Amino acid sequence: MTTVTPLGRVVATERRPNTPHEFHFWTGLDSPVGVGTIVRVEGKYTINGQITRVYGVVVEGFSYSDLQSPLHDVLGHDGSPSSASLASTERAEIRLYTAAVLRQLPDEPLQPVPLGDVYLADDADIAVALRMDGYLAEGARTGIPIGVYHAGGTDAPIYLDADFLIGPEAAHLNITGVSGLATKTSAIEWILSSIFTHFPEKKGSVAAVCFNVKGPDLCFLDMEGEIDERDRLLYDKCGVPQEPFENVQYFAPYKSDGVSLNTLRSNEALLHNVIPLTWGLREVLQYAEVLLNKDDVDAKADALIDFIRERIVDRDFSDEHMLPGKRYRVRSFAELEQWFKDLLVAMEQRGNESWRTHHIATIRKVRNRLSNISTRCAGLVTDDGNVGDLPFGSFQDRTVYVIDVASLEEDAQDLVFARIVTKLREHLEKRDLGVKHVIVFVDELNKYAPSDGQDTYVRKMLLDLAERGRYLGLVLFSAQQFRSQVHRRVVGNSGTALYGRMDADELATPGYSVLSPAVKTKLATLEKGQLMVRHPHFTQPIFVRFPRPAILRGRDGAERYPQTQDVTLEAAILRALRPLDATISLNWVKDITDTHDREDVIRARNATLLERPADVKRFFKSQLARIVPPTAVSRPALVTPLRTAPADDPYGL
Amino acid sequence: MTVVLRATMDQSLVALQRQLRALAPDIELLTDGEQPLERNTPDARPPRLVGAEVIEGGGMRARRVFGDPVVAFVAFLDGTQTSQVVAYVDGVPIVHGTVAAAVRIRRNRRLTTWQRPVVRRRLYGPRRALSGEHERVLSSLGIDLVDTAAASGDASSHPFILRDQAVHRIQEDREQAERELAERWCHLEHEPLFIDGGISGSEKVAVAACTVGVVKSHRTLYAEGEALQTIFALRRAERSSVFRVTSPKRIPVASWYLRLRDPVGHDPMWGLVRVEIANPARIEEHDVGTRADTVSRWILAEAAPLAMPDARWDKMVYGIRDCEEFLRAVT
Repeated sequence: MTTVTPLGRVVATERRPNTPHEFHFWTGLDSPVGVGTIVRVEGKYTINGQITRVYGVVVEGFSYSDLQSPLHDVLGHDGSPSSASLASTERAEIRLYTAAVLRQLPDEPLQPVPLGDVYLADDADIAVALRMDGYLAEGARTGIPIGVYHAGGTDAPIYLDADFLIGPEAAHLNITGVSGLATKTSAIEWILSSIFTHFPEKKGSVAAVCFNVKGPDLCFLDMEGEIDERDRLLYDKCGVPQEPFENVQYFAPYKSDGVSLNTLRSNEALLHNVIPLTWGLREVLQYAEVLLNKDDVDAKADALIDFIRERIVDRDFSDEHMLPGKRYRVRSFAELEQWFKDLLVAMEQRGNESWRTHHIATIRKVRNRLSNISTRCAGLVTDDGNVGDLPFGSFQDRTVYVIDVASLEEDAQDLVFARIVTKLREHLEKRDLGVKHVIVFVDELNKYAPSDGQDTYVRKMLLDLAERGRYLGLVLFSAQQFRSQVHRRVVGNSGTALYGRMDADELATPGYSVLSPAVKTKLATLEKGQLMVRHPHFTQPIFVRFPRPAILRGRDGAERYPQTQDVTLEAAILRALRPLDATISLNWVKDITDTHDREDVIRARNATLLERPADVKRFFKSQLARIVPPTAVSRPALVTPLRTAPADDPYGL
Repeated sequence: MTVVLRATMDQSLVALQRQLRALAPDIELLTDGEQPLERNTPDARPPRLVGAEVIEGGGMRARRVFGDPVVAFVAFLDGTQTSQVVAYVDGVPIVHGTVAAAVRIRRNRRLTTWQRPVVRRRLYGPRRALSGEHERVLSSLGIDLVDTAAASGDASSHPFILRDQAVHRIQEDREQAERELAERWCHLEHEPLFIDGGISGSEKVAVAACTVGVVKSHRTLYAEGEALQTIFALRRAERSSVFRVTSPKRIPVASWYLRLRDPVGHDPMWGLVRVEIANPARIEEHDVGTRADTVSRWILAEAAPLAMPDARWDKMVYGIRDCEEFLRAVT
């Protein structure tokens, strides 16, 4: 549809000519045009039988009057600014804009933008200008609404192409912006909602794995939050339901006491979908290099770790020469520690300096480092070998899996991140994850994939994910405050980039040199809920507004559902088991666990949670070692000893 | 036949040149450009002093305009002209002239164009000096050829005289365009109209209550002797007594001098304008001073913003400069 009244006219001068990629136009002083506005130019001449039509987005604006010198204005008002308002006539003034070309029709031959009338782009124009018409066609629709473009009277939903957001054509999304404006996390939550609503059925299933690395932002995704009327309109415009996520599963490790969950979502009312995340020796050892300092672990230590991984862990092991009569099947850190202890004692007793080519110093070092892991990752890594893990193999479509590692040590966060992403990748390669596409959301990317510093396992893994993940359906949604501080191969491989309000220092870095000063200024002053979007189909960045997610905000959630204080062991057991069996009472737990060691009780709980048996009480009870009641020991009847034979009379005669 | 063309950067001239080339391929074009003839043609009117009948009581003297300036003008009218030699046909200059006039109306302190501006482009030359073939070629260009010889009656074939005749004819056409617009305003509107120049050229305009002519050029000064000294001594926001300007070819009007800006350090004409309004009937002459004060306050209100960078900014009001800028853009 063509807007009847033009709002501007294209102008070109010798000093400021139009080019195939840029043009200038002026408007009335009251026009709704501003930086980021999309306009349409109607040419007057035909090319190949078609009237030229050019779409552009305003990237710069100028205003000036017919004054040649500011001094003239001073003179005209006798140096008194207050008298300016008394002037009978306003000076002639111009609003001149520079627009970057989004698209030209016909596409060929590519010519400088012609002189012509300028119109405000309407919904249909925007679809054409941003090449969205290619993926919004009925029957081949792959559009994912990202927000609403607003200018003048136009409110047009902007769509990303799922093929370029989730793959396989391109993939990944990166969002950057200053902290504290509720933009980055909110945008990710909104986009996930949009993807879950609009991701085409024919493209298969999709799930999201979100790492909550700080605060309570992602802790209440299934709780309804307040949105206002403007947000509702945005939801309606984009065709996304105003609801929190329907299917969310939370995973959180225990605190170091092994009893309470280490998450801000520990309120009893919310525990129904919080699953403890606990890993044993086997899980950790696979990713030992994540936790072990590379400078620490040389080739010799690496070889010993390999040996332990291949020959010791989860295998029957015996060494009649060094450890005669002993049989080992190491499944936990505790058992590994026992194995190390026995080995080192035996070597010392025998005076051996090496065992199976491994020097005793190397063995001591590796023992020290590995044993230390269970301490550094207390709560996540268990001594007992029981595992509480994500449901690899049975992932559900349109489900969000949140791994809350906000309270974990940095090493432990790295371990969680490395293992989960690697497992996702392995399962996607084998096509047995349960869903076809997984979106992995990582915040604070500048911490995990910094542009400088030493190469870490996590950074290598992120690079691999960014460069090859899309072929597997493994998609990285990442966020950070300073894009310039993130490895360029990670952000460079993000097909879609979003920008919230930016810091002026960040905008001064070379990565933003392609943006005009006006666009940079707009970026530095963006309101909450506004984003600049770069997408492979868009030849220029576009500004959109997105609604506040219909999700309880982290801060509100933390207030409404305060974190449960640390409780007694019995209360923690009750809280863990009651979701499995509502008939379990505190007294029952006390009766059952009263005479058992704390470690045994925790082990029994972990085993029960892992097994999730039909008869919870019976299973839990069976996991506790049977206590044999003490019995009185009677002194045996005295027997008259044999008389000792004299030394010089062997016959006793 | 020798036709020498002088091409300029003017778009309409370029178009004309293209047509001429199509009609007469042997024409040799010159592209070095030429300044508008108005810059080279001297004003034919000699500077002079003319005595005038003072119609405001008390004789010719300086009168302070009391009260704050009042913004009353609703619109501004001005005209422009540009002329350039297109070609010398056997030594005869063919002049391309553009005359234009516009009324810029003020709404919310911003100026926009009232109705359609007048823009006319014509060729000017002496038909009698052109051969039949030349006249036929020029006439076929789709643009009026105005015979400048008919009006002047001068039979000289000196190219400069012929050129000056053309320029003067263009000037008449410009005045005609201004008159047309002013008369249309008087017919359709009744709000005060600021006209750049005199109003005595049109009876309808000269007698209208809504028109005020403001003359910036002072080649003719309507004062002699002490009266002249009085005018030169006017200070800012002072006016002379009202006098009547009469001419055999023009309609009598009431007029006075008004100083818009402080002349200290400048020539006597600095910031000095002559105002023309409708000539009052005899019975109203006693009140003409009041009317002059009122109109003077209207004009003083137009002293800001300055019409800089125009060289005549001391006398020119911004609305008139806006008219000129507008006409420069559309011609």
